[in-house]
Amino acid sequence: MDEDQSSEETTFVVDEITTVIKEAVESTIGNSSYQHSKINQWMSSIVESSLSQLTKLGKPFKYIVTSIILQKNGAGLHTASSCFWDNSTDGSCTVRWENKTIYCIVSVFGLSI
Amino acid sequence: MDDDQSAEETAFVVEEVSSIVKESLEAVIGRNPYEHKRVNQWMSSVVEQCLGQLSKLGKPFKYIVTCIIMQKNGAGLQSASSCFWDNTTDGSCTVRWENKHLYCIVSVFGLAI
Repeated sequence: MDEDQSSEETTFVVDEITTVIKEAVESTIGNSSYQHSKINQWMSSIVESSLSQLTKLGKPFKYIVTSIILQKNGAGLHTASSCFWDNSTDGSCTVRWENKTIYCIVSVFGLSI
Repeated sequence: MDDDQSAEETAFVVEEVSSIVKESLEAVIGRNPYEHKRVNQWMSSVVEQCLGQLSKLGKPFKYIVTCIIMQKNGAGLQSASSCFWDNTTDGSCTVRWENKHLYCIVSVFGLAI
C-alpha cells in the first residue's frame, strides 16, 4: 500500500493532467469565436493556468506546456513530437479540443527531476 | 579556459540546435508542396533526424522535439509554450521555416539531467 502511494506521487498520471488541461481550456475559450485580437491573451492564459495547476500537484517534475490554436478554415495541420528521456519516469499527454470556430491542441510533457 | 569549455559542453546552445533543425527541414521538406499523404512521413523524418543529431552531441540532456506543419491557406495559427524548469541549465529553441506552400514550426526543449 505504501509503495503504491509513493509511486503514484512520483509518476506522470495522464488522466489527472488531462483533466487539468481541459478545465483550463474550457474556462479560457469556452464558446468564443476565433478573434485575432484575443488569441494572444487566450494562449497565455491557457498555458499559465495549466502550468500553475500542474505545479500545485507538488510532484518532482519539470513541465513543458505547449499550446496551438488554429482557426477552422479548411487548412491542413499536422503536429508531431519525439522525446529523448527516461521511459520509466517521464510522460506526456496531449489534449485536442474544439468548438465551432477554433481547434486547440495542448501538450504537456513531464520530466522527472 | 577549462571552465568555459566545460560550461559549453553542459549548456543548451541555441545556435547549434537551431542549425541542426534547419538542416533537417531543408533535407526532408525542401521545396515540396503540401501533400496530405506525405506529411506524416515528413514529420517523422524531421523529428527523428533532429533527435538523432541532438543525441549525438553527447550532452547530459533530455530532449523534446515538437513539429507543426500547416498548409498555407489563410487560416490563423498561434502557438505558445510555457516551461517549469531550471533556468540556469535548461533551454529551448524554436525554428520557424516556410516554403511557398507550407509553414513549419519546430521547437526543441533541452532539460539537464
